[in-house]
Amino acid sequence: MGRLSLGSFPLDNRRLIGALFLTPALLYIVLLVGFPFILSIAFGFSDVTVGNTDLSFVGFRNFLAVWENDIFRQVFETTIRFTLISQVFILIFANILAVIFTQDFTGKWFARFIFILPWATPVSLAMIGWLWMLDTKYSSIDYLLLQLGLLGRGGLLSDNRNLFWLAAPDLAQISVIFVQVWRMTPLATVILMAGLSSIPTDILDQAEVDGSRFMRTLLQIKLPLILPIMVIALLFSMITMFGDMTVVYVLTRGGPVDYTRVLGLYSFQVGIEGGNLAQGAAISLFAFPLLLAMAIFMLRTASRAEVR
Amino acid sequence: MKGMIRILLVFCIFGTLVFGMSAQDTEISLLQWSHFVPRYDEWFDAYAAEWGAENGIGVTVDHVNFTELFSTLAAEIDAGDGHSIVEVLFSPASFIDGLHDLRDINEAAAEMYGERASTCEAASYLPVTDTWYAFAHGYVPDPGDYDIALWTEAGYPNGPRTYDDLLEGGRAIYETAGIPVGIGMSPELDSRMATRAAIWSFGGSIQDENENVVLNSDETIAAVKYLAQLQNEAMTDEVFGWTAASNNQGLIAGELSYILNSNSAYRSLQKIDAAAAANIGFTPALEGPAGAYASSHVWQIYVIPNYVEGAELAAAKQFILDHTASYSDATYHSELYNFPCYASAVPELDGWLEADPWGSEPPNKFEVLKTVNDWSVHLGFPGVTNPAVSQVFAESIIPNMVAQVALGEMNAEDAVAQAHERIEEIFNEWRARGLVGGGE
Repeated sequence: MGRLSLGSFPLDNRRLIGALFLTPALLYIVLLVGFPFILSIAFGFSDVTVGNTDLSFVGFRNFLAVWENDIFRQVFETTIRFTLISQVFILIFANILAVIFTQDFTGKWFARFIFILPWATPVSLAMIGWLWMLDTKYSSIDYLLLQLGLLGRGGLLSDNRNLFWLAAPDLAQISVIFVQVWRMTPLATVILMAGLSSIPTDILDQAEVDGSRFMRTLLQIKLPLILPIMVIALLFSMITMFGDMTVVYVLTRGGPVDYTRVLGLYSFQVGIEGGNLAQGAAISLFAFPLLLAMAIFMLRTASRAEVR
Repeated sequence: MKGMIRILLVFCIFGTLVFGMSAQDTEISLLQWSHFVPRYDEWFDAYAAEWGAENGIGVTVDHVNFTELFSTLAAEIDAGDGHSIVEVLFSPASFIDGLHDLRDINEAAAEMYGERASTCEAASYLPVTDTWYAFAHGYVPDPGDYDIALWTEAGYPNGPRTYDDLLEGGRAIYETAGIPVGIGMSPELDSRMATRAAIWSFGGSIQDENENVVLNSDETIAAVKYLAQLQNEAMTDEVFGWTAASNNQGLIAGELSYILNSNSAYRSLQKIDAAAAANIGFTPALEGPAGAYASSHVWQIYVIPNYVEGAELAAAKQFILDHTASYSDATYHSELYNFPCYASAVPELDGWLEADPWGSEPPNKFEVLKTVNDWSVHLGFPGVTNPAVSQVFAESIIPNMVAQVALGEMNAEDAVAQAHERIEEIFNEWRARGLVGGGE
């Protein structure tokens, strides 16, 4: 009996279908990532303003001017500090939560749903909620502390009725880092949960048979196995946070003084609000070499861990 | 007769521009903020539609939050396409290369209505390029709002009139009633205005008349020391986290004894609690050692981007001039928030300030605003508002300088010197582009 011939069909061509499947992702990268990136490089080396978009080449003048700006150096340092501190907490919380959410317990799906909300909620909307909670005068957190007798005359935390979450330099920085951790932890957790779920059960069964207890299994088997995925989660989180301006734009606009001003916000203030588009672009591009080096290092680390 | 001449003048200016265009095919679009007074937007949208119907021109009005105006204008200029008219609230001097020179309608308006308020001229004309890059139709006074009962108790029944009054009275009220003064010192609009007002009134400024940076002066240092003392003795740390809503919230809650604000905080209170609103009084700019100055709160400034051409351009200009002719309605429906750049366009204004048509008690509550043109200045005072002044404003250099001293992190001399250095850098960059004068 001969084989049934369906004739040639273009989508049977593996090369063609491969290219077709890749096209949306490539278009996305080229149009929404690549083009703006190239444009910002062109802006950074030009004298462009919000009113004049002629790209006259000025060499490294903008980058040198930005580097000599004391405010920029403080902003750059703040951005790195906020990112690193946040990542430590995100990593700790994400690991704990990923382990919890991969266990079986009643209401697990509901708990997962609630937990993912900070990440799924539009960031500006979520920040308005936090702005209300951390308001300098009408903070609901302060109200609670006041009711508990921790604030107000003779209060344990302060004699004042408010802690001034977004006005006191230390508290404003803590608030911004806390909100970033709150926002980014769900994504890292979901990635780690995927990693934990992908560990072959025979390895875990073998460990159990060999008498390995929970902590030993976690520290010596699970975490080493998901290390490459953990690095990817960290990379996502770091890059997102490094470039973010929404959180501080809504909460503090960089204040008090410059304590919470980060690179994305300063770039926007100089480039768009201040009209100096060329310097705004140069400010944002300072993040690129650092992020690139970090990405290469972390991906190599992940790759090595995978090979082992 | 004079009226006839005005009408003839408008006709002559626009006759040639409008000639040949097919009015029925012409459409214009406007982008402007969602006004703090909703009643104004209701009036404006109806006015624009009516104007379009009368002139056979399609008119679309889009309202956005005021924080989005500059970013949208930048995107539209870059794209070479967008709204015919954009209304911004601060001088758009840094956009100058992407905007039409509106000398013709500025001159036509001056011809029709006479002298314009200096705060408006400085926010729409750049002398170094001799360009009218915008048409300012209105501005918003920024008087002091004070709690009458508290200040009367402290011995100032007419509220503070000098910076000394503010310190002494404000401190006494804070010590006895626990209610602080509310002058923002954070990176936001109200703080940028309030800190500048004190510096000007002490005789300091960011630049001189010739656009040279002169911030680092004994006068500025004295103003910064004063503000730090005011914060330490009459205010709480909340002013370091001030937002655009803080004035309004504090005044409405009765938790601030004095603020600098437009009439919006008071109008909100009027709608919520008429008795509490009756307890709010207004002061002109406070007198300092060198005079009494306060920045206008915002400006209503129309620009037409370069991509607008032909019949659309002519219609846009016609709309702007006709809107100015209707400024009595604009001021009225904004509940006296919008003040006219051309005083003669609103002949009823003095009467409204003597007897508020929106029911203030007492009716002459806003009478102090009759002198507004004597003390309301602009961001670049005593020079013009050039692109460098706008960038200094955007970076919040001045309130941050003051906050550093009030927080005890720097002494006034070092903070002013540091701010001066950064401002000098900004001025030099814009001067190299030919958009800032001075520098010799």
